[in-house]
Amino acid sequence: MSTIESEVLAAPKRSLLNRLGLDRFSALYLWGAFMIIFGLWKPDTFLSMTSVKLVLGENVSTGILALAFLVPFCAATFDLSIGAVMSMSVVTMCFLSDEKSRSFNMPVGVAAVITLVVCTLIGVISGFIVVKLKVNSFIATLGLGQVISAIVLKISFNRQITDVYSDTFEKFGRNQYFGIPVVFFYLAVAGIIIWYVLEHTPVGRFIYATGGNPEAARLAGVKTDRMVWGSLIASSFLAGVAGIVFSAKVGLFTAATGPNYLFPAIAAVFFGASQLKGRPNVAGTFIALYALAFGIKGLQLVVGTDSYWVNPMFQGTTLIIAVSLASQKGIARMKKRKVKTA
Amino acid sequence: MAKILHIWSLSKSFPGQVALQDATFDVEEGEVHALVGQNGSGKSTLIKVLAGFHQPDPGHNVTMNDEVFNIGSVEAAHRAGIRFVHQDLGLVEAVSAVENLALGFGYRTGFGRRINWKKETLKTKQALLDLGFDIDVRVPVAALGGAARTGVAIARALQESEQNISILVLDEPTASLPGADVDRLFNAIRRLKARGIAVVFVSHHLEEVFEIADRVTVLRDAKVVATVEASELDMSSLIELIVGRKVTAATVNRSIDQSLEPRLRVTDLWGPGMNDVSLEVRPGEVLGVAGLTGSGRDTLIPMLSGAIERLGDVSIDGVTIRAGKPNAAIAAGLAFVPADRLRNGIISMMSVRSNTTIANVARNKTGMRLNHKKERAETQDWISQLSVVTTSSEAPISTLSGGNQQKVMMARSFRLDPKVLLLDEPTQGVDIGAKEEIHSFVDAAAANGSAVVIASTDSAELARLCDRVIVMHRGQIVDTIVRGGGSMAQSIDKVLLAGSSLANN
Repeated sequence: MSTIESEVLAAPKRSLLNRLGLDRFSALYLWGAFMIIFGLWKPDTFLSMTSVKLVLGENVSTGILALAFLVPFCAATFDLSIGAVMSMSVVTMCFLSDEKSRSFNMPVGVAAVITLVVCTLIGVISGFIVVKLKVNSFIATLGLGQVISAIVLKISFNRQITDVYSDTFEKFGRNQYFGIPVVFFYLAVAGIIIWYVLEHTPVGRFIYATGGNPEAARLAGVKTDRMVWGSLIASSFLAGVAGIVFSAKVGLFTAATGPNYLFPAIAAVFFGASQLKGRPNVAGTFIALYALAFGIKGLQLVVGTDSYWVNPMFQGTTLIIAVSLASQKGIARMKKRKVKTA
Repeated sequence: MAKILHIWSLSKSFPGQVALQDATFDVEEGEVHALVGQNGSGKSTLIKVLAGFHQPDPGHNVTMNDEVFNIGSVEAAHRAGIRFVHQDLGLVEAVSAVENLALGFGYRTGFGRRINWKKETLKTKQALLDLGFDIDVRVPVAALGGAARTGVAIARALQESEQNISILVLDEPTASLPGADVDRLFNAIRRLKARGIAVVFVSHHLEEVFEIADRVTVLRDAKVVATVEASELDMSSLIELIVGRKVTAATVNRSIDQSLEPRLRVTDLWGPGMNDVSLEVRPGEVLGVAGLTGSGRDTLIPMLSGAIERLGDVSIDGVTIRAGKPNAAIAAGLAFVPADRLRNGIISMMSVRSNTTIANVARNKTGMRLNHKKERAETQDWISQLSVVTTSSEAPISTLSGGNQQKVMMARSFRLDPKVLLLDEPTQGVDIGAKEEIHSFVDAAAANGSAVVIASTDSAELARLCDRVIVMHRGQIVDTIVRGGGSMAQSIDKVLLAGSSLANN
């Protein structure tokens, strides 16, 4: 029958934008542009091994937090509590393994396990609120995040906690292998696991199906409630991991620890969703994460000492530009569809 | 009658395809003109060029009221008095009919730029009464029935200087309307006709063409095949024009072993719109469900499949399946194709492959890993078996036409090798070629030993497919029509009419 349709589909006109892949690979182009611009501008500092290592290591907690945001996001569920969960993780670690106060004084390993259990339980609660109480995930996790922040403030008395951990634990956060900060490998391992689950297992397919059309997925036999709930548990668990990695690397707690990481993590996921596949995905998230990170580092080096404002300014503008580029692509795709239905 | 719009040799090509070739088309004053053809035959292109969405290729000659008409421009179409109501209606669902009309034309304001709601309400009420709709114009449009919503869209298209408007184009106005609503819409169309407005409408439902159209223009493969008086056509000659060949509907010849235990057994089914229904379907049997909207016909399959809650016992081969759990029903050997394909069927952002395999992804697993290669091969197999038109198994399903999307839905169900297959309006919005193919898949499923249940508003479809048809009214089975002895479709329609007159009393 519809031979005309198949012809349209077979011979799409490829625009220049399409051929260069400016839409699907914009983060890679951006990354390249940053390397060239700041490399020429500040060749001795920006292109040095030290700053490359610094950028790789500094963004690991953000990266793991981005994975935490990504998993439920693929199921069209927001988890905005992950910033608070990350601070919960950091404060719990401090509290349980505090060698000075001698209150609990647990071995770091035990403290880490308990911390992860606590964080996972928070995920169980947010899943309950979203799935059973049927509260919109955006509202539910925003509210729950506030409650957790309150608990964190109560536990910490809103004070900075420093000088907590033994040298052995901090080695897990500060060592280098093959010249690369060890924490970067943690991010890589977490990324590979999530990538494998999302792209190569039935569960990943179910999560994306739930995100694509929840009712159709449910009617096709997908246990969509379980996918949403499970992805919220996974995100809280990952936020807990991000907190532990942060503890090992930085070794202190301040109340701003978690929340400050939330926006960059979300920005990486949103920007990354426009990359490669046109849907939220791990590789796109990582590319976006490091494209933004290198851009910020370069700008900080250029601006110099009072560069404290660079970070949010840069994150905000690039996110808006990236997502607007992606919706331009969406508009173009819609136009194409119109032609097809003719 | 005087011809108002006259189009000669209108063509439209897109890169890599000709969507409309040398079309000749005219509209007479105050006529109802049906535009029919399969998906991709060019009828939407013709309408879109007329509406000014697309620029036609040069070389055409178009006159409107004997003046040269600059086709391909939105303003020209509007100035010439041509109005359009598209399939999705384009209404703002959350606000009232009054506001929907005002949005198109602007609010009339009184002192202090205050909106004169009283005036607006009266105006809207009158406009809808003129179309035969006596409805509350202040409730959100979303709360109105399908026909009334279409009525609001028509009223909006027709408002302002009406003496100017000579042609109203309706693009598939009945695609998502239940039977009774179609009648109300046709009533509105007749009123428009009486006012001297010509109505051009696109439809896949051929029986509607005979009911309302004065003339019919048939398109096939981007060309206008014929423009004929509707009275000169019958169903088979019209189908032949559309498809380009004689379509011989296969006759059902099934023998059902009555000694076999029923595969599907439903006892005392209760639920929204369902009032104590019991039924049995044997292996290889096709049971049809007829009835008006709200009779239980439209909720039976959602209830059986677990899409909505129910009370009562449903069992497959003697094993009871839990209510409200589609995954449990699927695990028990049930497969179903839901009625609202876009909302409940396809996952539009995913590929044809993912959409085909979603109900049983695990089949293509090697260890823990999903074997994409195996999955692709399996999907490719289904694509060729059901002759789905798509560039590849990886294309997003949203790029396929309605009929082809529906074939993917069929593939999703068939690959489960179901003991019980439930189909809810399986050919709604599907063109004739694909319809006949889908029907032959149903035959194949029955031959395979599945117990099949089909709910449909199309009596001819039920007659073509079913061994037995139950007619529902107010949540109960009021009649059962068995194949053999006279026209099944006529018997169904007779009971349906009797049922609706019952409802009116």
